[in-house]
Amino acid sequence: MTDTPALHDDGLLAQRIRSGDRVALGEVYDRHASVALAVALRIVADREQAEDLVHDAFVATWQKIDRFDPARGSLRSWIVTIVRNRAIDRLRGTRSSIEIGEADERSLLKSGPNPTWDGAVARLGAEQLRAALAELPEAQREAIELAYFGGRTYREIATLTGVPLGTATGRLRLALARLRELLRQSDAAPISVSRGDDR
Amino acid sequence: MNDQMTHQQVDELAGAFALGAMDAAEEAAVRAHLTTCDQPHLEVYEALGAGSALAASLDPVGPSPALRDRLMQTIERIPQGDRPEVPSRPPARRGWLDWLSPRVARPMALAAVVALLAVGVWNVNLQSELGRRDAALRAVANAIAGGEAAFRVDGNAGHGYVVETPGEGAALVVADLAKLPADKLYELWLIDAGGTPVAVGTFTKTSGAVAVVTVERDLTGYATFAVTVEAERLAAPSSSDLVMVGALE
Repeated sequence: MTDTPALHDDGLLAQRIRSGDRVALGEVYDRHASVALAVALRIVADREQAEDLVHDAFVATWQKIDRFDPARGSLRSWIVTIVRNRAIDRLRGTRSSIEIGEADERSLLKSGPNPTWDGAVARLGAEQLRAALAELPEAQREAIELAYFGGRTYREIATLTGVPLGTATGRLRLALARLRELLRQSDAAPISVSRGDDR
Repeated sequence: MNDQMTHQQVDELAGAFALGAMDAAEEAAVRAHLTTCDQPHLEVYEALGAGSALAASLDPVGPSPALRDRLMQTIERIPQGDRPEVPSRPPARRGWLDWLSPRVARPMALAAVVALLAVGVWNVNLQSELGRRDAALRAVANAIAGGEAAFRVDGNAGHGYVVETPGEGAALVVADLAKLPADKLYELWLIDAGGTPVAVGTFTKTSGAVAVVTVERDLTGYATFAVTVEAERLAAPSSSDLVMVGALE
């Protein structure tokens, strides 16, 4: 499986949504809502709130589809970023801020989507991705989970884990570099999954 | 952290930046560096997008059937491009907001910034600031070209624009900032039609050069942007004077 058809479909679906096609939004919802809900639920740990966040994220998708650029990443990634940012803001008791943060970061890129991350998402299942995460040292894995799912800044991570700021930034940096390498290698050799292993 | 970052500082923050694990001011500083830097910063770019893999490591959770119905009913009522959950912006208010300035039209905004830059009013006094000056101008130009808004803000502390760029959120681009005492900071506020202010960031820039500060929320639903000087970040403004203000309409 490659990400090319998915990206192609994303572009077409986005075009249809942009033209006011509500059915297309329903198709996007059917395709990505379960991932979006998993992220929201992991962050806010409340089913009702998580579903509200997913609802709001797809409404934002409907209203702001003109801001989606398939050349910069997948529609799935865009939607997940919206729901993740909203969930973090909910966790912190603030309203949604920058709703397309990752797209914002990606806008800096001169090239297209990052082939390692997008390719791994398209190619690997959740269990295999967790297996790759399990390959990271515990402290590094904890750091990136506090950052992504906990919405913590590296300064907060340093405080929470009792390490200097440089150690916190180093863990985040090394974790992503190592994870990227693991996922890149998995393109050639599948990641082995240990039963019972969890995040 | 100073908003002028070195290459090494940016590289060290690669993971934090990719995962959004830094405060708004630092994130803006990294972004500003990357926007103007001629170094490759490969590690930063390679880390971008990692969040999608972390999200995909979770087992999908099926939403309730009612959620889909609710969503479809919601979008049935919402024409695209409209933002019905936000009340339309009213005329300028008085009282706390009685300093409101009229909106500056987008072409005027661009022309004004170009003119200010040309005559050096923005006081770009360091070579390293040139890139930031260009980035600021580009942000305004992008905002205009993208059909989004650029709003003039003025006051005793300086002058500039609040710009909302498609895909890049909102930012305050400001010059000629008054120097702050060491124990003070600038605090940014968005104020809704009812006059309720919400804190959307702080910064402590004290030089006279151009500053680009990320606004922590988008501008939708707010009528006014303001800056105060505070001793610390507050959830509600103190009685401090408004040192910069502008109408978002």
